[in-house]
Amino acid sequence: MPKKYVMLVDTERCVNCKACEVSCRAEWNTPLGYSRNWVSEVMAVDPNGMPTLSLLSGRCMHCDSPPCVAACPTGASYKRDDGIVLVDRDLCTGCEFCIDPCPYNARFRDPTDGMISKCTFCQPRIDAGEEPACVHVCFTRALMFGDANDPSSEVARRLAEGTWQRLVTTEVDVGPNLYYSKGTQFDATVLPQKKSPTVAAQTLAVVNPGLKIGLGGMLGLFGAAGVLKLVKRKEEVASHEH
Amino acid sequence: MNTETAPVKPGFIYSRPKKVIRLHWFNAICWLVLTLSGLGIIRGSLRFMPVGYAEWLQNTVGGQFNLIVGHSLLGLLWAGVFALFVLFNWTSVVWPFLKKVLSITPMSVLRDMYEMVVDIAKLFGLLKSVKLAPPGRYNGAQRLLGTMIIGSSMAIALTGTLMFVLFLLTPMTVDGAVFRWSLVAHAFFVGLVYIGLVAHIYYALIEEPESLQSMTDGYLEEGYVKRHCPAWYDELKKEGRV
Repeated sequence: MPKKYVMLVDTERCVNCKACEVSCRAEWNTPLGYSRNWVSEVMAVDPNGMPTLSLLSGRCMHCDSPPCVAACPTGASYKRDDGIVLVDRDLCTGCEFCIDPCPYNARFRDPTDGMISKCTFCQPRIDAGEEPACVHVCFTRALMFGDANDPSSEVARRLAEGTWQRLVTTEVDVGPNLYYSKGTQFDATVLPQKKSPTVAAQTLAVVNPGLKIGLGGMLGLFGAAGVLKLVKRKEEVASHEH
Repeated sequence: MNTETAPVKPGFIYSRPKKVIRLHWFNAICWLVLTLSGLGIIRGSLRFMPVGYAEWLQNTVGGQFNLIVGHSLLGLLWAGVFALFVLFNWTSVVWPFLKKVLSITPMSVLRDMYEMVVDIAKLFGLLKSVKLAPPGRYNGAQRLLGTMIIGSSMAIALTGTLMFVLFLLTPMTVDGAVFRWSLVAHAFFVGLVYIGLVAHIYYALIEEPESLQSMTDGYLEEGYVKRHCPAWYDELKKEGRV
């Protein structure tokens, strides 16, 4: 069975120390003002009327149906067989077609090199048999990472307990692979949002079928003219023979 | 055109020099290869072809990077050859051609569109009684097609070059919108040319195979010119070239 990497976020263990953010920035040298991961604070009121504060460590969700991959015109954004969504820097043009389709705002354009940047689950570390940097430094063990298809892995055992939920809505569910403790309060600031694509993407969405219709129409028109000419030619030949 | 140096062929009119014929077929081959490779480049929801086609083509040429570079280099060669041709043949070939073919004022566009509609209707036996002004070297539909192809080709070359530069060099400070809109324009103008090419190929193969013949040896039958381009025929007669 192929690997399927997932991350579990135990929100009751998170203390908002930001070590995950710092380690990520150190690992990937992200520019000042940008981060590949973050901790969101969600304030809510519990059924007893008491205020609650949920701490949600967020990043690219490495979705099962990643809209960013579908939006990428060059194939720079792709999903590996083990579920990790990556950006091939050789192919990335920094066009940002992929940024708006992400319902979790997990992508940004790195101003230092113009490339699209996002969490990679620290793919080089994983390929070397290590944990992602954020998981490695999380001293409260709020973050767990592993192969959900390996029954012996900790994440598979914890997922089997059924005490997890994903950040999805009835409108937006692209199969995120980050799981949060069940009962964690979500609000509009963290829930996935379906955003309008860029004007260029919207234009292309009209141009693409428009050209197909135009081309089909022309082929139909001149195809019909050709058939008509053939019929006339046959009639002419037949009349000559008579 | 350089009629004096062309060998005389009784009953035929020398219509185009060999270099124009070579340029035409070079253009046709480039368009075919550039279209096939270009359709293999665009991935994701913006693609025009099935995913399988892009994957097959990319695997065949050793990856998407090679495909993009190959497509772009051929595109640059195509644009470069045209640029050199224009440069070295401006007064003898290009300018006389442009003067005859370009339709840019609103009135000429409207007149040419009317002629085009009537010509297409006549293919279906309609509007037979409508008399049009005797066409010169090019009729209304040819002028519109020529103008559209010239304009579109310049836009395709410009946007293609821009995208290749952005792809090769780190985008850095260039806004992602430049690439996005270049891609939209590139796709739009390529599609537009193909819509026009349906008519071009139909007339060359079915309605006026004499013109296809002239695109191999440079000669048009005198009778054909008299029938299809009476104003041009009169012009040639006045010049003593028939």
